[in-house]
Amino acid sequence: MNTSYETIIIGGGVIGNSIAYHLSERYREGVLVIDKKYPLSGTSGSTQAWVWVHNKTPSSYAEFSMYSAELYPYLSRKIGDVEYKRTGGLSPFFNEKDRDKAKRLAESYREIGIKIKVLSREEVIEKEPSINPNVAGATFSKIDGNVNPFRLADMYMRAAKKNGIEYSYYNEVIDIQKKNDQFIVFSKNGEYTCKNVILAGGTWSRELGKMVGVHIPVNQVRGQILVTEPLKPFINYTISGMRQANNGEVLIGYSMEEAGFNRSTTLDVMQETANMAMYYIPDLGKAKVVRAFSGIRAVPEDGLPIIGKVPSVENLYVATMHSGITLSPLVGTLMTELLVDGDTSLSIAPYSIERFK
Amino acid sequence: METDVLIIGAGPAGLAAAFEAGSRGLDVVMIDESSRLGGQLSQQTQMVSMLPSQYPPMKGFELAKLLINQLHDFPVKILLNHPFIGLYQDGSIGVSDGKNVFPISAKKVIVTTGAAERAIPFLKWTMPGVMTIGAAQTLVNRDFVVPGKKAVIFGSSDFALDVAIQLKQVGVEIEGIIEESTKLTAQNMDKINLIKQASIPIYLNSFIKEVGGNGQVEEVYVQQDQEVKTFHADLVCVDGGRKPITEVFYQLDCSFSYQEKLGGWIPQYNERLQSSQEGVYLGGNAAGISFHGSILLTGIIAGISVCEDLGVLEADEANSLRDSLFKEIKIIESKQDDHLWLERMTHIENFLHPKLKNQFIS
Ligand SMILES: Cc1cc2nc3c(=O)[nH]c(=O)nc-3n(C[C@H](O)[C@H](O)[C@H](O)COP(=O)(O)OP(=O)(O)OC[C@H]3O[C@@H](n4cnc5c(N)ncnc54)[C@H](O)[C@@H]3O)c2cc1C
Repeated sequence: MNTSYETIIIGGGVIGNSIAYHLSERYREGVLVIDKKYPLSGTSGSTQAWVWVHNKTPSSYAEFSMYSAELYPYLSRKIGDVEYKRTGGLSPFFNEKDRDKAKRLAESYREIGIKIKVLSREEVIEKEPSINPNVAGATFSKIDGNVNPFRLADMYMRAAKKNGIEYSYYNEVIDIQKKNDQFIVFSKNGEYTCKNVILAGGTWSRELGKMVGVHIPVNQVRGQILVTEPLKPFINYTISGMRQANNGEVLIGYSMEEAGFNRSTTLDVMQETANMAMYYIPDLGKAKVVRAFSGIRAVPEDGLPIIGKVPSVENLYVATMHSGITLSPLVGTLMTELLVDGDTSLSIAPYSIERFK
Repeated sequence: METDVLIIGAGPAGLAAAFEAGSRGLDVVMIDESSRLGGQLSQQTQMVSMLPSQYPPMKGFELAKLLINQLHDFPVKILLNHPFIGLYQDGSIGVSDGKNVFPISAKKVIVTTGAAERAIPFLKWTMPGVMTIGAAQTLVNRDFVVPGKKAVIFGSSDFALDVAIQLKQVGVEIEGIIEESTKLTAQNMDKINLIKQASIPIYLNSFIKEVGGNGQVEEVYVQQDQEVKTFHADLVCVDGGRKPITEVFYQLDCSFSYQEKLGGWIPQYNERLQSSQEGVYLGGNAAGISFHGSILLTGIIAGISVCEDLGVLEADEANSLRDSLFKEIKIIESKQDDHLWLERMTHIENFLHPKLKNQFIS
């Protein structure tokens, strides 16, 4: 087996795989993706999977997200059907007082070209008839939607493999050393050398950073998601906290908890989540919940993505963020430009790790 | 709701554990997802032998009745149609009454969730008319429904032979018993003789390839050597063995290891039938698929350990009780199948060396 590579990507979630796939469009040899488990064992396999733009702040971050959402239809044509649906996104509010806030949000987005409508009560009910009639209004954006995260990671990977990218699963990276111009990546199953290392370890980024003496301030935020039995299609939009998947299941999740790497579920949160969902869509009270799962978000200290070169260590790169499903097409594209061309077509300066200094 | 002891699963092991705890004055709550006590035992019309020494041989449902009746005078609260649903943050157990989910906070929990049948897949195995052998027995004995007119049985364990005879008694024609290996897997000669007397044909070295029919099973295609035989039947009973029901243990974050004979992945426990989780004990088929005797005995041991840990039984007495109960398990298991007993011992020795633990830590 080969042990010498041009580039090693550590982490095979949607981010690592998107980078691998986009790199494979430019050069086909010498790329290895290593994962300590299997491709969806991390956050990418336990997510809501919205491709979500509206009500992200600051508005420059919403803009960044929008560019990624715009890439999705094109991505599906290249790697295959990932069940991407641009449903439109609806964020209801139940208090008339929130209308001003919504208007301000819409205003600030207008400047950057994201169209957000502030809907009246009647307009919301017309769009989403099953919503709680006490709704006061909603913000609405056409660009929002969702995707099947399992297909997404899988299609990235298939396309990358077809283009010659190598993979090594169940192979935890335990140390990384730099010798002369080379990295030596020590893993459970052996040692590899390479020129470039990309850290795409999601919520484990802090631990990976330590191996190369770099502080990557990513914290763990748990989210619990309920899954209903398959129901006939009745939720038209991607709504705050929920979406209906192609197979009819409704995924519901609101929670944000500090629980470290513990991925268990708790009834306290499940019951809160169910109550919240019934408040939004009263008919959900009749649905049966068939399963629940937890995911651990990788949340950088200031909430924004960390993408790009690590200036203190030559040829070391990092790409980790919350909302990686939304951002994966763009992040893969930009990281490839950075590696192959040395520069990116869209500025990633705001997301540099330097900002934490 | 608060209690000393919560028992999850009201089959024979749970009932036996409830008696140990209840008869020594502990408050017991016993929940079960089904609508009646006794678990699978309640519908077993066959004789159960190899019971602990205090019980004479009797039929399954009679044993269930006896175990239920002996609880009468004790503080055992029974909640039927109450499935375990999950855990609250503070560790209390979440139970559903069909409408609401509420917490039960217990000092000790005994999990006796029993076993589920394994199915064997073949082409079109999900067609109506294909069911597990246990499901066929449930239809006959519990629901008084004859599941078909002509049956093919796939598998030849003692249990499969029992059910074959029971099906025949209610008028189902048995077209054949299909067995993949070179001989019947049943151990009990009496049962094998009954099958022979009833002239039920046995096909060794053969397996079901496919079933066919218009919306339900009408034909069964059985491969034997190079030949495919067609049987006309509307019922296929699949005997794929059983596996412990372990969801509750996963939720409770217990550690596991693998024991082939005991049914695959099973929760770890020590000689006190205590799991890797403080305060969680287990017994019955959930602690490894075995015979009726061991099911009761492990349930009793779990009950005794809980009594000891809650201070209603002296350590010396608990130890000597456990010793003699384990001797009985040894007799029962090594008499029937020596490997089973050896595996159980290995499993207990492995208590501190789990194969699977902390499954929620990512
Ligand atoms: C409840 C919840 C809801 C979410 N909803 C959305 C949403 O609606 N929209 C959205 O865009 N995003 C959402 N997210 C976030 C999104 O899922 C993540 O941002 C995305 O999946 C991150 O992908 P990743 O590739 O960076 O991380 P991961 O998928 O976690 O991949 C990292 C990989 O690195 C591997 N790894 C780590 N350490 C090592 C090591 N030492 N050696 C080898 N391999 C290693 C891991 O095994 C893992 O496979 C949600 C997250 C959660 C938890």
